[in-house]
Amino acid sequence: MSRAHRGRGGVLLVVVALFLASGCAGRSGGAGGAAGGELPPPIRQVLPNGLRLIVQDHRAADIVAVYLYVGVGVRYERPDQLGYSHFQEHMLFKGTDKWGPGYIDRTVEGVGGRTNATTSFDFTDFYMLVPKESTETAIQTLADMAFRSSFDPNEVAREREVIFEEANIETDNPKTAIVRQLYGMVFADNPYGYPVLGTRPTMNAATSAILRAYNKQYYAPENMTLVVAGPVDVKTVRGMVDRIWGVIPSTGYKPVSAPTPRPLTGIVRKSVERPEQQARLALGWQAPPTNDLNGDTVDLLTTILAGAESSRLAVRLRDQERLVSSITMSYSAQMGGGIVSLRAELEAKDLERVEQIILEEIARMQADGPTEEERQLAVIRAESQHAFDTETSDGLANAYAIAETTWTLDAELGYVDRLGKITREQIRDAARRYLSRADYARIAFQPKQ
Amino acid sequence: MSRRIAASLLLALAIVATAPPRRAAAAESAAGAVTRTKLANGMTVLVRENPTAPVVAISLMLRMGTRWETRQNAGISNFLQLMVVRGTTLRDGTQIVSVADRMGGSIDAYADADYAEIPATALSRYWGEMLDLVAEIALKPSIPDGTTQAVRDFLARQIRNRADKPYDAAFDSLMARTYGDNPYAWDPLGLKESLERMDRAALLAHYRRHYVPGAMVLAVSGKVKSAELVARAEGLFGALPAASAPAPNATPAPAPASARAVLTVPGAQAQILMGGLAPSLTDPDLAAMKVASTILGGGLSSRFFSELRDKQGLAYTTAAREPMRVGAGYFLALLGTAPANKEKAEAALREQLERIQRQAVSGEELRVAKASLLGSLAMDRRTNARQAWYMASLEVAGVGHEFLDRYVAQVRAVTAADVQRAAQRYLATVRTVVAEPAQ
Repeated sequence: MSRAHRGRGGVLLVVVALFLASGCAGRSGGAGGAAGGELPPPIRQVLPNGLRLIVQDHRAADIVAVYLYVGVGVRYERPDQLGYSHFQEHMLFKGTDKWGPGYIDRTVEGVGGRTNATTSFDFTDFYMLVPKESTETAIQTLADMAFRSSFDPNEVAREREVIFEEANIETDNPKTAIVRQLYGMVFADNPYGYPVLGTRPTMNAATSAILRAYNKQYYAPENMTLVVAGPVDVKTVRGMVDRIWGVIPSTGYKPVSAPTPRPLTGIVRKSVERPEQQARLALGWQAPPTNDLNGDTVDLLTTILAGAESSRLAVRLRDQERLVSSITMSYSAQMGGGIVSLRAELEAKDLERVEQIILEEIARMQADGPTEEERQLAVIRAESQHAFDTETSDGLANAYAIAETTWTLDAELGYVDRLGKITREQIRDAARRYLSRADYARIAFQPKQ
Repeated sequence: MSRRIAASLLLALAIVATAPPRRAAAAESAAGAVTRTKLANGMTVLVRENPTAPVVAISLMLRMGTRWETRQNAGISNFLQLMVVRGTTLRDGTQIVSVADRMGGSIDAYADADYAEIPATALSRYWGEMLDLVAEIALKPSIPDGTTQAVRDFLARQIRNRADKPYDAAFDSLMARTYGDNPYAWDPLGLKESLERMDRAALLAHYRRHYVPGAMVLAVSGKVKSAELVARAEGLFGALPAASAPAPNATPAPAPASARAVLTVPGAQAQILMGGLAPSLTDPDLAAMKVASTILGGGLSSRFFSELRDKQGLAYTTAAREPMRVGAGYFLALLGTAPANKEKAEAALREQLERIQRQAVSGEELRVAKASLLGSLAMDRRTNARQAWYMASLEVAGVGHEFLDRYVAQVRAVTAADVQRAAQRYLATVRTVVAEPAQ
C-alpha cells in the first residue's frame, strides 16, 4: 500500500499514503489487467545503458504522463551534504546548456502540460503531464534536465533562498512539521531521520561545482527509471527513448545498500510549544523495509487501526468519545526501514487520555487480532486504492516508477492478491511485533500557555 | 421522526421508463459522452460512462451554499451538510462511513459558495448500493440533536483554526472587505456568532427549502451503464414532489476601493494578498480575465513565478487566482515571503498588477497562458470524481457542462487587447491585506 513516503508539489515530507499495487484483484478477477478495468499489462524493458523503461497503454484521457525516478535522495547524503538531493532537484529546473532558466516551465505549460518534482529519502522524481502530441517534448525535456543542466552560480544562489523559504513554510505548517520531527525521533542518527531540506551550513556550502559533481555521480542511466503512461504505442515510445536516452553512456554506477536504522528503544517523548491553538499528537514505530513482505501485513494492520474512516481508533476517539477531530495511521516503507505513523488533531487537554486509549486499542489488537469483517474491509480498501490509481495515467506511472525504484514492478503487480491471503492471526502477530507499547516515539504540538 | 419525504418512497422501486438518453458526440477516448435526463419532478441526472478503471464517482449537488445565506445564518448550508452525513433514520454516522468503507469508497458532504455537495466514490461493482446510500443521506437525514452540538463545536474549532493560519486569515479578511454584505464575504464555515444561534429547527427549515428536486442535480462518472443508473435514480428520487430552488441572496458587493490592512498572525512567513471583484461565470470578460490572471500568476511560467520568485527571490509561494463564480467573482494575487522582504515584495507585486494594465502582453505570453489555462482544465478533469463535480456544479450554476466547450472557444479567441482591457477594468482598484508574524 504505502510503499513509499513522498510529498507533493515540491514541498516535502507530507506523508501521503500511496497505494501502489497493480495486477488482478481477487474479487473482481480482471484477467491480465488492472482490477476489473480494461488495461493491458505494463511493458518493462531495459536499455543497453541500463535505463529501465516502463510503458503503460492507458486511454482514459488524451494525456500522457512521463515520470523519471532517480535513485538518489536523502539517504545518500553524507552529513556534510544534507539537502543536496533536494537542491539538485530544484536546480534541474533552472536551465540547461541549451536553454536558460524558465525554459522548462514555459515549454511544458506552453503545451498545456504540468511538471513538478519531489525529493524523498530513497529517490528523487520528476514528472511531466502533457497532451499526447507532446510526448516527445516531455521525454526530451526530462533528458535535458537530467544530463545537461547548467548549475549557473547566480541561479544556485537565488534558488538557495527559495529553499530557505520552503523550510519556513514547512516549519509554519504544523501538519508537515510534526511528521518531519517524528521521523527524526524514529530514525535517530540515521539518514531516514535527516531533514530533506538540509541545514543552513550545508546549504550555504553548496556551490555550482559541488552540485554539478553530485549530478555526475548519481544521474546515471543505470540509476534511473522512466515510465510513460497514456494513449501511447510501445514501439513509438521505445523509438523516442532509444534516440534521446539511449545515447547517454552508462557510468558504471553501483548502488549503495540502504542503511539499517538502529532499533528504537524505550518511549522517546517530546512536546513542542506552537503558535496554533489546535494541538496535535503523533506516534511512530519502526516498521519493515520496502522489500520485506511483512509490510503487506502492516498495511492491513494500520488500515484496521486508523487507516480508514470506520477504523477502530477513528470510531472510538472521533465518533464515540469525541476526543479527536481526526486520526489517521499509515505505513511508509523505505528501502532501509519503514515507519508506522499515527497522527491525531485534538485539544491539548486530551493529549494524555488519547495516547492512553491508542495504547489500549493496540493492546486489544495484540491480544485478539482483528475481526473477519475488519480484515475484509482492509483488503477491499487496498483493492480500491489500487483501482483509483488506475483511473489516471499519472497515478499508474507514479506507482510503477516507485515500485521499480525501491522494490520490483512484479512484487507490486501481485500486491492485491497477496493481501487477500493474509490471515487475522498474521495481522495480530504483526501488531505484537511492530507496535510495541514500550518502544515508540511520541511528539505533541500544543499551544503556548 | 416525521420527514417531509416519506421513507416508503425509497422502497417504491417502481422504475419509470425514461426516454433513451441523448448521446453527445462520440469522444475520441474511451470516456467522454454525457447523457442528461430530466426526471418528471425537475431533478437532473447526468451520467458519463468511463470504463477505464473499475470505479465510480457520484456527486449529488444542490442549489444551496453561502450564496443563499445571510449574515444571520452564515454557515448554515455547510452545517446542514455535515449533519446529513452524520445520521439517517436508518443508521448513524459511524455506520454510514463503515458502509462506504466496505464498498472501497467514501462519502462526505459539505457546502461551498455556489453549491452544496454530497460526493461519493466506490468500486464500480457497488455503484447501485452507493447511489442508494447517497439517496438515503439526502432524503432521510435524522439531524440528531446531540450530534448538532458536537458538530457546532467542531465548526467553531475550524473557524478558530482558520484564524491561526496566516494565509486563511489574510484571505478571509480580504473577502470580508471585498464583498461587504454580499454572502461571498464569508467562508462556507460561516461566522462564529451566526453558528452559535443555529439550532436543529433552523437546520430542518434550511433542509426543507433546499432539498427539493428543482435544486438537485445528480452527476455520475465511472464504469456504469447510463440507462441502469438513470433507472435506479428515478426509483430513488423520482417520487419527490416537484418544487423549485429558492432564490439566492442578491445583496450587491460594495464598490471597489484601494485600501490596505495589516494583520498579525502566527508563523515565520508573511502573506501579502491583493484582490478585488472580477467577472462572473457568464460575464463576457471572463475568458480575458482568466487569461490575464494566468499570465500574472497561473503557473510556474507566470510573471509572478518567474519575476518575483525566480529572478528576484522575493517569494516561495506566489500565484494569482480567479475562480469561477456564479455571482460576482474575485481576483486574487498572493505572495508568501520572509518578513524581511515584505516591503519589497509588496511593491513588486503591485508593479506586476500595474504593468499588465500599462503594456500589452506579448504574443508568446498569450500563447503560453492560453495553453496553460486550457491544459489545467484538462488536467483537472482526469478523475471521475472531478468529472462528476464539473458536470454537477455547472448544471447547478445554470450553464450546463456544455459551458466548458464555449469557454474553451472563448479562451482561444482572447487577444492581447482583450487582456489589457480586462486588466484595466478589474485591476486598477485593488485591496491589500498583509498578514505578518508578530515582531
